[in-house]
Amino acid sequence: MGIDILQGIISIIIILGLSPLFAGLVNKQKAILTGRIGAPILQPYYDLQKIFKKETINATSSSFISRISPLINLVTLVIAAAMLPVGFWKPLISFSGDIILFAYILGLARFFQILAAMDIGSSFEGMGAAREATFALFAEPIFFFTIGSISFISGFTSLFDIYHSIELTNISYGVFIIICSISVFMLAVSECSRMPVDDPNTHLELTMIHEVMILDNSGIDLFLYQYSSYIKLFIYAILEISFFYPFSQQSYLLGILIFITGSAALTFVLGVVETIISRSKMKNIPQYLLFATAIGILNLLIYTFTK
Amino acid sequence: MKWIDVQNNQSFDIESIVYLRKDDFSNTVSELLQTGSRMIALTPIDKNIPQKIIAVLSDSASSTIHIVGGDFSDGKFEFESWANKFPQTNYFECELSENYSYLPVNHPWLRPVRKQSVILKNKPYQFFKLEGEEVHEVAVGPIHAGVIEPGHFRFQCHGELIYNLEIILGYQHRAVEKLFLNANQNQRIILAESIAGDTTIGHTFAHCSALESLAQTQISLRADVIRTIAAEIERVAMHLSGLGGLSNDIGFALPSASYGRLRTLAINSLAAICGSRFGRGLFAYGGVQFDFTDEIIKMVINNLKTVQNDVQKINEYLFSSVGALSRFEETGIINNELANSIGLVGLAARSSGIEDDIRINFPYSAYRYNPISMINLSTGDVFARARARAMEIDEAFRFVFEQIENLPQGKIKTEMGNLNANSGVISIVEGWRGEIVHIASTDNSGNLTQYKIKDPSFNNWYGLSLTMRNTAISDFPLCNKSFDLSYSGHDL
Repeated sequence: MGIDILQGIISIIIILGLSPLFAGLVNKQKAILTGRIGAPILQPYYDLQKIFKKETINATSSSFISRISPLINLVTLVIAAAMLPVGFWKPLISFSGDIILFAYILGLARFFQILAAMDIGSSFEGMGAAREATFALFAEPIFFFTIGSISFISGFTSLFDIYHSIELTNISYGVFIIICSISVFMLAVSECSRMPVDDPNTHLELTMIHEVMILDNSGIDLFLYQYSSYIKLFIYAILEISFFYPFSQQSYLLGILIFITGSAALTFVLGVVETIISRSKMKNIPQYLLFATAIGILNLLIYTFTK
Repeated sequence: MKWIDVQNNQSFDIESIVYLRKDDFSNTVSELLQTGSRMIALTPIDKNIPQKIIAVLSDSASSTIHIVGGDFSDGKFEFESWANKFPQTNYFECELSENYSYLPVNHPWLRPVRKQSVILKNKPYQFFKLEGEEVHEVAVGPIHAGVIEPGHFRFQCHGELIYNLEIILGYQHRAVEKLFLNANQNQRIILAESIAGDTTIGHTFAHCSALESLAQTQISLRADVIRTIAAEIERVAMHLSGLGGLSNDIGFALPSASYGRLRTLAINSLAAICGSRFGRGLFAYGGVQFDFTDEIIKMVINNLKTVQNDVQKINEYLFSSVGALSRFEETGIINNELANSIGLVGLAARSSGIEDDIRINFPYSAYRYNPISMINLSTGDVFARARARAMEIDEAFRFVFEQIENLPQGKIKTEMGNLNANSGVISIVEGWRGEIVHIASTDNSGNLTQYKIKDPSFNNWYGLSLTMRNTAISDFPLCNKSFDLSYSGHDL
């Protein structure tokens, strides 16, 4: 029992500590692929440090919502991080049905962010909030149809158990995993405001979705938001990598190795995807998200008809 | 004859202008607009005699410029507005009204161009308002999230769709036209170079041509060719930058980075010629400041061949990408009819199927002997404006390589004499963005009494605003970039 908790705590520390590095790696690969030298891999850490030192200014029209929202954002994401397995270590929080908690704790973060954006009263932020809410509506089914379908197939309702039940040796599982990893990737792209749904590097306030909501934040508030967004990206990365653990083998070393190479491979995939594709029209984003949902449904159909 | 006809860069005696009375003036201009002429200026020919104004209209078909004079000495500064029938004159009337207190009667929308306080008499500006539960207003700028020039944009939206976009400019107003009148010879070229930082060569070209005509100075063919080569290199560089910007706005990292790299090579060629990457210091009255040595020619050719080679590949990549095409095509459409009626110019006009290129319709300098082909596309969307850029780059390369290998011999600079007294000139140049007009006139001792500048942005900002109707607000930055208009060129 004691060792479980220790492993769980180490997992969280790894996630919290390495998430900016993950973002830095993606940016570096993107830079190299477009023929630039690019910012150092550790740039996200420097950025966070820089933002942390700056003065926090709140809009005069804002209420307490704007002040608590950044903190709620970080806390909820830390809780979500505590539910994910690193390697095959048991996460700190793991119980039957925790996929529901996982989905809605992220939903809570989004809810407060949207509230805070509207709280400031700028027309931009309201626009961003409206976009975020609309696209979240389409993104939510993706999670439940993909992770949910695996849960349905394996019969478990805890993230750890679901991943634990995956065996790469079983061919039919292999099909499900490939399908799921595609739709989770599409979900991650949308949730973490990456291309083609949102452009993390744009300075064009009218086209932003996620970034526009934090346009009026500064100092420690911006630090919290920025850090949460790095964590969020890494959380979705882990959600993706975890499909590929051959858990049945129960080798510590292999688990960690797959975690590291999986993360690195994912940064590469993200880097390539963001280099070679352009952002889609905003009105086409629901189509993109519905496509990912359809893939999840496909999973269920395959299972039902082959059983 | 109710008006006089001149050619591009032809100096004329300002005494020869026929000044018509109020109604006659209005009708004559109306008549000319009806026959397909386009207004390019509306201003007093002498800044100190505001009661006598000229309307300058260009007729592309016959390559002539009509000058209609209006005399308002007796009575009020009022004339019947043309803007209801010919929306292209709208902004010119506003400008005249703002600067010389004229009142265009029945003007549909008299609004400030650069100085907020004049027309409004210090009352706050009333934005167009849309009311209702579901509509919302988004105000952007004048300070933006990126490092760009200041301008205020106000969108009236229904959800993500724009109903109306109102653009307020003037934050960069430096009174350039006034500065020209008080400047000495050495200062003037520097002033012309800084009218719009991205069209340094275009504006300086127009300025030098104008003053050389006033001084009856004939410049050597070699200088002419060097000028046009520089202008074409500027076009290449700015079009590359525009394509890079378009790619960047759709988040297309690969072309964006490549165009940026290639633009550097192009402007470095300008630096090789004159020491400034934007072409500052190249132009001088009577010719150019720097000659092309064999070494420079070799380097420029080398540089540009590399650019040409790489641009071809990256263009192919961009224009065959499904993602990019889905963003470009049918976004921000401005059809031929609308473009004609609001008097769109330059690249944007040619992308809407208007055959209007000063280098062809009003040939000047070396373009008189070495023609360039017209790039014309009909769809009028972002794609057309992007594609037109790519095609103009190809055409500019052809021109530059052809000219640089056959440079005429001769000296590069002739001494410019004093400006002729009582003369005027209209100098039109095709900058990379479009038609640049400089109008200069002198008094009886040969001093400048009026200097009027029209940047293509002056016409096209209104086009951008109309383009945005019924377009998604998230597509605004893309449409804006496809026009790529200048704030300082408009604000002067």
